[in-house]
Amino acid sequence: MTSSPSETEAAVETEPQAHPLQEYADGVADAVGGTAEIQFDTIKVKVPNDAWVDAHVTARDQFDLVFFSWLSAIDWCNEVEVGDELSEEVEERFELLTTLGDLTEGKRVTFSTDLDAKTPVIPSLIEVFAGANWHEREAHEMFGIDFLGHPNLAHLYLPDGFLGNPLRKSFPLLTREVKPWPGKVDVEAMPEKPTTENPES
Amino acid sequence: MTINSDTMRHLSEAQVSVELETEDMTLNIGPQHPSTHGVLRLVARIDGERAFDVQPVIGYMHRGYEKICEVRTYPQITTIINRIDWVSGYANEIPFIVAAEKLMEVEVPERAQYIRLILTEMARISSHLIFMASYPLELGAATPLFFALRERERVLDLLESVTGGRFHPNFNRIGGVKPAAGAGPTMKKTSQDLPANFLPETRSAMDRVMEVCDELEDLVAGNEIILARTRGVGVIPVEVAAAYGLSGPNLRASGVPFDLRKIEDYLPYDRFEFDVITGENGDCWDRWHCRLQEIRESGKIIQQAIDDIPSGDLLAKVPKLIKVPKGETYVRAENPKGEMGYYLVSDGKDGPYRLKIRSASFSNLSILPWVLEGVLVPDIIAIMGSLDFVLGDVDR
Repeated sequence: MTSSPSETEAAVETEPQAHPLQEYADGVADAVGGTAEIQFDTIKVKVPNDAWVDAHVTARDQFDLVFFSWLSAIDWCNEVEVGDELSEEVEERFELLTTLGDLTEGKRVTFSTDLDAKTPVIPSLIEVFAGANWHEREAHEMFGIDFLGHPNLAHLYLPDGFLGNPLRKSFPLLTREVKPWPGKVDVEAMPEKPTTENPES
Repeated sequence: MTINSDTMRHLSEAQVSVELETEDMTLNIGPQHPSTHGVLRLVARIDGERAFDVQPVIGYMHRGYEKICEVRTYPQITTIINRIDWVSGYANEIPFIVAAEKLMEVEVPERAQYIRLILTEMARISSHLIFMASYPLELGAATPLFFALRERERVLDLLESVTGGRFHPNFNRIGGVKPAAGAGPTMKKTSQDLPANFLPETRSAMDRVMEVCDELEDLVAGNEIILARTRGVGVIPVEVAAAYGLSGPNLRASGVPFDLRKIEDYLPYDRFEFDVITGENGDCWDRWHCRLQEIRESGKIIQQAIDDIPSGDLLAKVPKLIKVPKGETYVRAENPKGEMGYYLVSDGKDGPYRLKIRSASFSNLSILPWVLEGVLVPDIIAIMGSLDFVLGDVDR
């Protein structure tokens, strides 16, 4: 009834060149028509917008990445702090991310694609991975991303009638607007050395 | 011949009585229901004794942690993520701390890693013991609760003696674990980092946990009502489980020997011998049984870790003002509930640019509409309970 997988991923140091997973990552990227990048043992494959669903089908069928871990997005709008007004110069975009894994060797690949900030629309993954359902609902309410073909994009976490997309950087966190504490108050530089040599006294 | 409305109504009634159609009923379960482990609401549409459509309604506990984390510094975030899955708060901290350490390229001292590992496994035992207590109770067997909770209390007492917190330890620091008072990294260590007798007491607590596992097995596996209510109920095949992102004991009960402790290197699990427990059928019984056996495996890991815990520092040298260099990484860990992971995006400041929290219970719960289709109404509770979710972990 018990067994232990013989495959144990070697503990790898992060080196800029010749990462042990590089070959695998390039193989996945070539098959799905994207580019691979490895940061701190995390394989990220960037695929074009229109190859999003096909990339997941390929990953699932050819690379055995059958485990749907999560889907989420990042609001890339670097110059803007949470709650600040959007500045005109910044090119805002959404990066949509999914992570898939396989259940034998423990490989995992993060797929990513860029979405237009004005009209973030992408076909739904629900036909490929049934588990995408709730994750897409969450991304829809939190970022305002539309998933074409999703049967029910109703609010998942937020109450009905909630306006706005909270995880967008342009969405103000009101408690922080009125009272900055306890946000970033302890970032003031501390004295490097204790002033007294004897801590017992 | 003309048919007036009365005749129409009469005809329709006649048809109903001939075909014996039963009326669909919508049954609302929760959000304040004792078997939902928190505030979960189910809208079940039932036809006679069978539910044909069950939709979970979540979000009653949504606290917006992903947004809050964007305005906090890294050391402040451990306090928040403790509260995601409060049944195993300690285990939540590990993947986040490891993600930050990866980006900072900090080497954690051996002793700190061992202490982390021991406490993580103790959190797993306490989480699984809660399941051992609550699941039979939901099926009508009250006795296992007392056995399980008594041992869990001992484990929590030990956790508290080290960290100071039963549920929310907040014990990890970037670069290691919190040093005991007077034993900071810059001073000569004068006091012990772990409480006196912690290691021998943990060892004997593990012996007792092993004993209570045998008792629980007797109590539950010998209970024919529980067997009848769990065997073959709520079967989840591997392909469906994987597509929904089911992880942890729920996935392994379906027969996949997939355990992140054997795959990822977030803690030195490769130095210890333990088995990955799998089930055969993926039904409620297997999910219960997997967790029971995992308690024993965790006990084995802790015993081994106590045997060869090295001495040394508790904290690596990290700057007082923690700034994480630019980068992105995803770190996942085998939590008691399943895969818990953090996708950490840093833009080089003192707090994360974005922190995606992948919580196990969220994905585990999302399979409910699939697995509850066509089951008997009392089986809703049996299946839901067997997935062992915590609403804080679902709603984040």
